[in-house]
Amino acid sequence: MSTVSKARPVVQDMIAVLILAGIAVVLFFLFPTNLALLTRIIAMMLLVLSLDLVTGYSGVATLGHATVFGAGAYAAGIFAAKFGVTDPLLMLAIGALAGAIAGALSSLVILRGHGLSQLVLSIAVVSLAHEAANKLSQWTGGSDGLSGILPSPLFGVFRFDLFGRTAFIMAVVLLLAVFVGLRIIVRSPFGMLCRGIKQDPVRVRAMGAPVYATLVKMYAIAGAVAGLGGALSAIATKVVGLDSLSFTTSAEALVMLVLGGAGRLFGAMLGTLAFVWFEDRVSAINPFHWLTIVGVLLVVVVLFAPKGLVGAIEAIWQRLRRARP
Amino acid sequence: MSRLVLTMLALMLSSSVAFADTIKIGVVGPFSGPAALQGRNFQAGIDAWLAVNGNTIDDDTIEIVYRDLPAADPSQSAALTQELIVSEGVQYLGGYYYTPDALAAAPILEEGNVPMVVFNAATSALVNASPFVVRTSFTTWQTSTPMAAVARERGIDKIITVVSDYGPGVDAENAFVTGFTAAGGQIVESLRMPMNTNDFSPIMQRIKDSGAEAVFAFLPAGPATLGFVQAYVENGLKDAGVQLLAPGDLAQEPDLAALGDNALGLLTTFHYAVSHDSPENAAFVKAATTAIGNAEQLSFPAVGAYDGMYVISKMIEATGGKQDAATAVEAVKGLSWISPRGPVSINPENRHITQNIYLREVAFEDGEYINKEIQTFENQGDPGWKAP
Amino acid sequence: MPTILSIAADALAYGMVLFVISIGLSVTMGLMKVVNLAHGAFAMIGGYIASYVTQQMGLPFGVAILAAVLGTVLIAIPLERFLYRRIYGARDLTQVLMTIGITFVIIGVANFVMGPSLKTIALPSELQAPVDLGFRTIAAHKLFAVAVGVVVAGALWFIIERTPFGVRLRASVDDAAMAGALGVKTKWVYAVSFALAIGLAALGGVVGAQLLPIEPYYAMHYMVTFLVVVSVGGAGSITGALVAALLLGAVQTTGRYLMPEYGEFFFYLAVIAIVCVFPNGLMGRFK
Repeated sequence: MSTVSKARPVVQDMIAVLILAGIAVVLFFLFPTNLALLTRIIAMMLLVLSLDLVTGYSGVATLGHATVFGAGAYAAGIFAAKFGVTDPLLMLAIGALAGAIAGALSSLVILRGHGLSQLVLSIAVVSLAHEAANKLSQWTGGSDGLSGILPSPLFGVFRFDLFGRTAFIMAVVLLLAVFVGLRIIVRSPFGMLCRGIKQDPVRVRAMGAPVYATLVKMYAIAGAVAGLGGALSAIATKVVGLDSLSFTTSAEALVMLVLGGAGRLFGAMLGTLAFVWFEDRVSAINPFHWLTIVGVLLVVVVLFAPKGLVGAIEAIWQRLRRARP
Repeated sequence: MSRLVLTMLALMLSSSVAFADTIKIGVVGPFSGPAALQGRNFQAGIDAWLAVNGNTIDDDTIEIVYRDLPAADPSQSAALTQELIVSEGVQYLGGYYYTPDALAAAPILEEGNVPMVVFNAATSALVNASPFVVRTSFTTWQTSTPMAAVARERGIDKIITVVSDYGPGVDAENAFVTGFTAAGGQIVESLRMPMNTNDFSPIMQRIKDSGAEAVFAFLPAGPATLGFVQAYVENGLKDAGVQLLAPGDLAQEPDLAALGDNALGLLTTFHYAVSHDSPENAAFVKAATTAIGNAEQLSFPAVGAYDGMYVISKMIEATGGKQDAATAVEAVKGLSWISPRGPVSINPENRHITQNIYLREVAFEDGEYINKEIQTFENQGDPGWKAP
Repeated sequence: MPTILSIAADALAYGMVLFVISIGLSVTMGLMKVVNLAHGAFAMIGGYIASYVTQQMGLPFGVAILAAVLGTVLIAIPLERFLYRRIYGARDLTQVLMTIGITFVIIGVANFVMGPSLKTIALPSELQAPVDLGFRTIAAHKLFAVAVGVVVAGALWFIIERTPFGVRLRASVDDAAMAGALGVKTKWVYAVSFALAIGLAALGGVVGAQLLPIEPYYAMHYMVTFLVVVSVGGAGSITGALVAALLLGAVQTTGRYLMPEYGEFFFYLAVIAIVCVFPNGLMGRFK
């Protein structure tokens, strides 16, 4: 019995990965000319997944999560542009490491607040980081953006081409690996502990578990995930801008997470895909007044799918299953 | 959902069917967002050019494909540019308001075989990002440098510089300080203000305390200029005779009505004033006003776009409508013409526009506030550009 | 010495503008427990109305203030009835999503209707004239903002602490079910408080327009500032918001004078320091 219950999640993960890979293959062939957009979406997904870890799973409210994304993007970009570290895999590793460090450090400040004050602390952190990046323009290029990032071919063979095929495939593999890793983490006792903290930190503390240290650890993990996203964005775009370290990006990430459904990995990914894709299409159709339509979408989602898109899909699924006994 | 996907697919297929004689130009700009006014001016400049010159060149019909990029966001810029090239099949790219957005698009020009004509982004080094970048706007170095000579001519010895703390602000400061000290002037202090400063009174206090005879300022066109000029007047600097000098961003025409009497007498140097007196400009202003719908909204990005369209039309003529970026760019190197802003040419070395820079004074004439040109610095190149 | 006094005067004026414009948000967030990110959007609507009334219709400033407050409340009533009522008591994140959506819509509509350029509000000549304080002159409209701030703070304190409505409001906030059982019409109380908060937002938009100019992205530009003032003060506390606005105004003004290039660093470091010492805000009355 115990072997079955242990094996089931692994089987579920395999199925999930296969489905995701299938979707990626379909998108690759269906939209061969939109791969740069899809890669951008995957980089954003990594940021939103990371946000889900701290907000959805651990209950830390933050409007400053772009800090860790930007740290990864700038670290990978600076190493590539200033020190000639142009191997894409190495750049990803640098991004993840920088994100983890930035995550752990920023958590030391953000975890000092609760609820509203936590939101404000997170805004202060991302604003300080944004100002610092603007100030250190010899390193970051300031508001002109950090350019001159020329990633070498992946494995020395696959060039980053105009169509963005290499970048997209690398992004998909990266996303799948992160997804599996996160599934394991959120199911682990550590992940359970984080959920416990979200529900009732006082009780967890009373049980003798280290709340603060656990959250810092989770923040570091989340930082690494978002840092990967930042590095991916730097590799695919070849430019890093101050927007990657901004309140606006942080707020957008939160909107995507809530749109998809917080506390679910699928919610984070679906929310990002839906939001960015919708925004891209609507703004292509009407470049001048699309913001209104995006706003209406958000309001409609709150009114008719208060638990996010994933919650709505589940509700429909449940109803269908009940309808056919 | 599947119907949606199918519709999209159908749309994509239909748009990729090439009509032999339609040439698409992709234009990326801030059509929504905080800089929507400037994006609207891109569009007005393009529409004005099409209204004056028609939308055909030889046998080819021009079609404009707009993409919105509301804020500086390199990764979105790269995605939009790629989509325009590979999915929409554009042969030319135009627009780009912010430098990082243009920088992100530059690396794919060569492979995409597409020239980019920058309608605004004003950082000197941008033209080095790709040999296929041509610029018809200005650089902050270009517009700020002549102000140093103006200040010296007016007998000003001691100046304080005050700029917004970001790329263009730092460029303006460097350009002015270099020119002013070379001409024997003294910079008593250089202040940089955070981008989102809204109360400028403390800055004005600093200017007062510095003992400078005049202040050189740079702020991006838009809301912040209102508070700055107002604080300058309300804190008594104008009455005390501390002259305010700035590149023209601070006094773009759509902001002048809001600045009102406070701006009267403000001296700015810039490449274009809507009030510029020439037949070419009269025709341009007429067409662009019709395009934008409201005369008060017309501003400098429109002329960058208008001249950008001229450059693209010459590229199309030179290539006979075929997609050949190298020939197209080669054909416009050294090109010279009379723009609404005056005589201009494309410097073959850095593909940036050489033009007159005008000293203007804000004046109230015939019921409206205008930038009145009072002095001309002819044939100014970009002093900020360094060969790569 | 005159310089210090001069900085102090600027700080007071700036802080008061921050207070007037943020206090409405403190009411929605502290008393109604709604994270209303669209607060700035309502302030912006107020500013647009006042601009239209003074510039296009040529009516006096006093009429413009009245029109701005009433007009904005009128626009907000259907929003409260059909949208906000659905998110009272919902999770923070849901409220964030809804109010950001509303902000987007208002920005889009404002851009469409009013155009993307700057709008100003014509002030009467009395408010434009400089006033001599002895050590310096200051624009009269800044003194007006200070006066409005004092009046608003006093009036709000009176309404919430000393009127029957205030009693019902506090009861509804503490325990809506119990208040309802005791005969308080909580829906009505909430609607009136919402209208009050929106009216304050519009008033702030008009009074603050000299420092925070009216343009479509107003609603986004200052969202963070308002949120920071309210939470540093402690949501729902009038004194807290007043102290926070004055304190942050002083930090920012002094920072801008002493080291403008590091102005934002001072501001956010001060925010972090204050919030770390007072996690519920300076005078947080609720957690």
